[in-house]
Amino acid sequence: MSELNLTVHARGQLAAIADLRWRLFINSLRTTRGKLEFLSRGLVSLAFLLGGLGGCFAMAAGAFYFLSAGKPDLLALLLWPVFFFWQVFPVMATAFTNNPDSSDLLRFPLSYRSYFLVRLAYGSFDIAPALGSMWLAGIFLGIGFARPTLLLWAGLVLLAFALVNLLIMQMVFAWVERWLARRRTREILGVLFILLMLSLQLIGPLMEHFGRRSRPEMTRWIELLRTTQALFPPGLAADAIAQAARSHFMVSFSSFLLLCALGTTIGYFLHVRLGAQYRGENLSEVAAPSASIERQPLRPGWNLPGLPPSVAAVFEKEIRYLARSGPMLLTLIMPIFMLVIFRLGPMSRQGSFFARAPNMAFPAAAGYALLILTNLVYNNFGGDATGIQFFYASPVRFSQIILAKNLTHATILVLEMALAWVAVTYLYGPPAPGIALATLAGLLFAAPVNLAAGNLLSIYSPKKLDYSTFGRQRASQTTVLVSLLVQIIVVSLGVTAFLVARSYGRSWMASAIFLALAAISVTAYVTVLKKMDRIAEQRRETLISELCRT
Amino acid sequence: MDAAPTISTQGLTRRFGELVAVDDVNLRVAPGQFFGFLGPNGAGKSTTIKMLTGLLAPTAGRIEILGVDLANNPVEVKRQIGVVPEGMALFGRLTGAEFLNFAGRMYGLERGTAAKRTAELLDLTQLADQPKKLVADYSHGMQKKLALAAAVIHGPKVLFLDEPFEGVDAIASGTLKSMLQRMIARGATIFLTSHVLEIVERLCSHVAIIHQGRLVAQGSLEELRAGVEAQPSDGRSQPSSGEKLTLEQIFLRTVGGSSRSEQELSWLG
Repeated sequence: MSELNLTVHARGQLAAIADLRWRLFINSLRTTRGKLEFLSRGLVSLAFLLGGLGGCFAMAAGAFYFLSAGKPDLLALLLWPVFFFWQVFPVMATAFTNNPDSSDLLRFPLSYRSYFLVRLAYGSFDIAPALGSMWLAGIFLGIGFARPTLLLWAGLVLLAFALVNLLIMQMVFAWVERWLARRRTREILGVLFILLMLSLQLIGPLMEHFGRRSRPEMTRWIELLRTTQALFPPGLAADAIAQAARSHFMVSFSSFLLLCALGTTIGYFLHVRLGAQYRGENLSEVAAPSASIERQPLRPGWNLPGLPPSVAAVFEKEIRYLARSGPMLLTLIMPIFMLVIFRLGPMSRQGSFFARAPNMAFPAAAGYALLILTNLVYNNFGGDATGIQFFYASPVRFSQIILAKNLTHATILVLEMALAWVAVTYLYGPPAPGIALATLAGLLFAAPVNLAAGNLLSIYSPKKLDYSTFGRQRASQTTVLVSLLVQIIVVSLGVTAFLVARSYGRSWMASAIFLALAAISVTAYVTVLKKMDRIAEQRRETLISELCRT
Repeated sequence: MDAAPTISTQGLTRRFGELVAVDDVNLRVAPGQFFGFLGPNGAGKSTTIKMLTGLLAPTAGRIEILGVDLANNPVEVKRQIGVVPEGMALFGRLTGAEFLNFAGRMYGLERGTAAKRTAELLDLTQLADQPKKLVADYSHGMQKKLALAAAVIHGPKVLFLDEPFEGVDAIASGTLKSMLQRMIARGATIFLTSHVLEIVERLCSHVAIIHQGRLVAQGSLEELRAGVEAQPSDGRSQPSSGEKLTLEQIFLRTVGGSSRSEQELSWLG
């Protein structure tokens, strides 16, 4: 009787959790923002559905071809992309933000079995499993059309493969969740994530650069890869089907058993993680061991000659914030990274733009540096969060606070330009003096324009962001649109200046045009800065409520 | 209240659309008072303190701090006051020492003075042992102590504290209380909101109660007690014979606590 009660109890809990998710969804539609979010989600889902259906047809055609052509081993080529998408997409989609969702459930008298099921179910309705399942269904149909006798066995193997995928996804997610619970590991993983993305950018150029020279070695690597992949779920699943297609049933069954054993092992690791969560492990930041217990001598704050102490204080604070933000620092090296990519990749080929005009590498790096900097400039207070209240409560004018922030941006830009100069000199040769001068004059025009626009948007369209995390931190749509408009105007004027100078064959003309434009943009910047106190007072409530939002 | 008030408001009102969060509030806080500002949830306490500290603009009314009109001269007023707002206003990615140093300099202290006071405050609040720890990694209690330290680093004449004891353990609470009492002893004025009535009763000399946006009582504890005792009682919130009314009883009788819970939820046992 008590067993029955427990079952009924668990069912009630699971139904309550499903209802909770439903209510959360319905309640999210109460606001216009929620409705727009739902609409955009619907559009994204539609796009994914089309991708899923397209993939399903492609997979079906591929599986049909491999089986019909007597090459069932090549099914692994279809299963690996499914596996990769299923595992990588959820991690990228969460993008290293904290996910407190499941642990909230632990305050209720939920049995471990229910908790395990809920965790498994949470992930099952995401995009990756949905698309992965559609693609596996395509493979299933392709096999069925090519070899109807294999249909049942292939179905069983693909089902096991799908379950293994689900378990791996949940296991990875559960462990990532555990690491992300602490700020420090969140930052480290954020940096690793960016490095991974940068490394992916390098694959193409490196393949092109080294590929022709070491083909035999590449072949050896590919052979090693082919034998190693057979030990992983896609290889095992492909082998289980391929061996059955060749009537090697014992080998086929062995591969299937290995796949199941792998699934069980992964399930065990997931159980270890979820068990620890269920028992109530403490993942709070406070529990993290302190970095040091020794006292350090206190140093006075920075001093910037000629500037008020409050400006120096904000400048110091901004630099410290930036220095502690791995993800933000990494984005700042992007201009240099892009120069390397262009030097190694297709852009280095004869006839390409940079091969014909290496002198333009410095202006390009400058433009890219300014573009990257807009991340900071157009959302000045985003990283301050509740600190914005401190600024409002302190006896310092907002124009001074913003001036200090802009000084930080200018310092970063100068530093980036110095690095770009070194990188361009090393990769493409030193930039011609005329072009270099025009570029710097161009920055004198473009930077104040962006700073002025950025200051206004930082007040009118603020968005809270966490410098320690990466992803899911998009600026507001207004900021994106205005920023885009500003860049279009600036780039158009820049290109026009260069074209005019070129048509007259006098590179100094570009510098002269830029300096004239700079005079206007600096005036505009100063005018905007002077109005900042009044605007910040007017926008005080919006700014505080947006940035202090939890 | 003979001396010119440190804090005074006239007709202070704040509307959010249709909702009148603070309605025609006239406050007077004399110099050196430890002033408790009480009210039920949603009564308008935080809205009032935000307006008094320049974090929120009033819809109507006038605020004077130390005789200076806040609307006309906000910078001058902010120089004289310290604030611990609801969200604590911390910069999470600085260390405690860096934040205090920063706060000191924002309030116009010399670099050397800011560094010296930072060291003293970190020692006093027992936050000096973990110099490399970022504020974001501090516990709630540590953050409260740091927020208070930042609010007093420039030696303000008036201190505004919004729920300073919320979520703070007994040890941290003791440190906070001794800091506040030291400030009062030196002539500062403190204006605090709190739900912990025992603490307010022990610390504050004067109290105001806000209910549904309107100020329903204001004065010393004795004045409030006398006022409540003069009113007819419904039998609830009564002291034992010979005992004085506690602040909780005064509060409940002023804002009118509900007796529904006594009649309902019989299944709770």
